[in-house]
Amino acid sequence: MNYQYIEQLLERYWDCQTTLEEEQILRSFFKQEDVPNHLMQYAPFFALEAAEKCEKLGEDFDKRILAMTETENKTVEAKQVKLTTRLAPFFKAAAVVAVLLTISNIAERALQNNSASSTMVGVTDTYTKKEDITAKIKIIDHTQSEAMAKADSLKQAPAINKEDMMLE
Amino acid sequence: MCGSSVLINREMKEISFKNDVLPLKDKLFRLALRITSNREEAEDIVQDTLIKLWNQRDEWSAIQNMETYSMTVCRNLSLDTINKRERQNISLDETAHDQPDISRTQDEALIRQQQMDSIQAIIQQLPEKQRTIILLRDIEEKSYQEIADIMGINLSDVKVNLFRARQTVKTKINKS
Repeated sequence: MNYQYIEQLLERYWDCQTTLEEEQILRSFFKQEDVPNHLMQYAPFFALEAAEKCEKLGEDFDKRILAMTETENKTVEAKQVKLTTRLAPFFKAAAVVAVLLTISNIAERALQNNSASSTMVGVTDTYTKKEDITAKIKIIDHTQSEAMAKADSLKQAPAINKEDMMLE
Repeated sequence: MCGSSVLINREMKEISFKNDVLPLKDKLFRLALRITSNREEAEDIVQDTLIKLWNQRDEWSAIQNMETYSMTVCRNLSLDTINKRERQNISLDETAHDQPDISRTQDEALIRQQQMDSIQAIIQQLPEKQRTIILLRDIEEKSYQEIADIMGINLSDVKVNLFRARQTVKTKINKS
C-alpha cells in the first residue's frame, strides 16, 4: 500500500502546516491496527488525544460545585428578604394612618347628619289654634273673590280699535 | 429557575452555569493537569476556576467566548500554582492515564502503556508554553486564534512555539 499521502501529511504536520482536519486524518490513520513499521514509532503520539480525553472529573465533583453555588445563591435571596422586612413597618404605619383617616371622615359626616335632623325637629307650626286657622281661611276667600270680580269687569270692556290706534 | 443556575440574557442567548459552564470542567482539568502535572492540584484549580466564574456571573454579558475565557482563567491559576511551589522532576505515576485497553494480550497492553508514558514524559519536559499549546492544539483541537486568545499571545507566537514543540517531540521520538 502506498503511504505517500500519509508521509507527506506527517512532514507538513511537524512543520505546523496542516489544518485541523488533516491532523484528524493522521490521528485516524494511526488508530488502525496495520500501521507500517517505519511509521509505528509515531503511533503513541497520535493516540495521545484519545488517551487524554479519558481524563475526566467524576459526578461527585459536579455535586460539590453545585452545592457551593446554591449556598451562595441562598445568601443572595436572604439579603433580599431582609430589605423587604425592613420596609414592612413603614407600609404598616401608612396603612394604619389611612384607616384612621377613613374612620375620622365617617365620624365627621355622621355628626353633621345628626345636627341637621335636630334643626328640623325644632320647627313648630305657626298656627296652633283652630280659631286662628279659620280666620286666615276667611281672609284668603275674600281676597280671591275680589280678584275674580275684577277679572270679570275687564272682560266686559269694549275692544280696542286698531284703526283708532293708528290714527292717533 | 434552578437554584444553582443563572440565566443571563445576552443577545437573546441564555447562559446557564449548570448547562454551559460546568460541562467545561473536563477540558479545564486536562489543561490544569498538563500544566501542574498533579491531579489533586489540578482538581482544586478547576474548582477555583468554576467558583471564580460563578462569582463573575454579573459580568458574563461582557465575555465574548465563555470557553476561551474559562481556559484563560484556569491557565492563569495553574501558573500561579506552579510558581508557588518548587518544580520537581515529573513522576510518571502522577501523570498515569487510564487508557482504554485495546490490546489482546497483557504484554501488548504493557508495551502500549510504556510507550504512552514515554510520550507523556517527552511532552512534560517541554517548557510550559509549548506543552500547553500542544495540549490545546492536538488534544482540544483549538484553532491558532483560539489558542492565542486563551494564552494571551499573538498568532506568530502560537505558531513558533507549536513548531518548536513538535520538532522536539519528533526528534525525541526518533531517538528512542
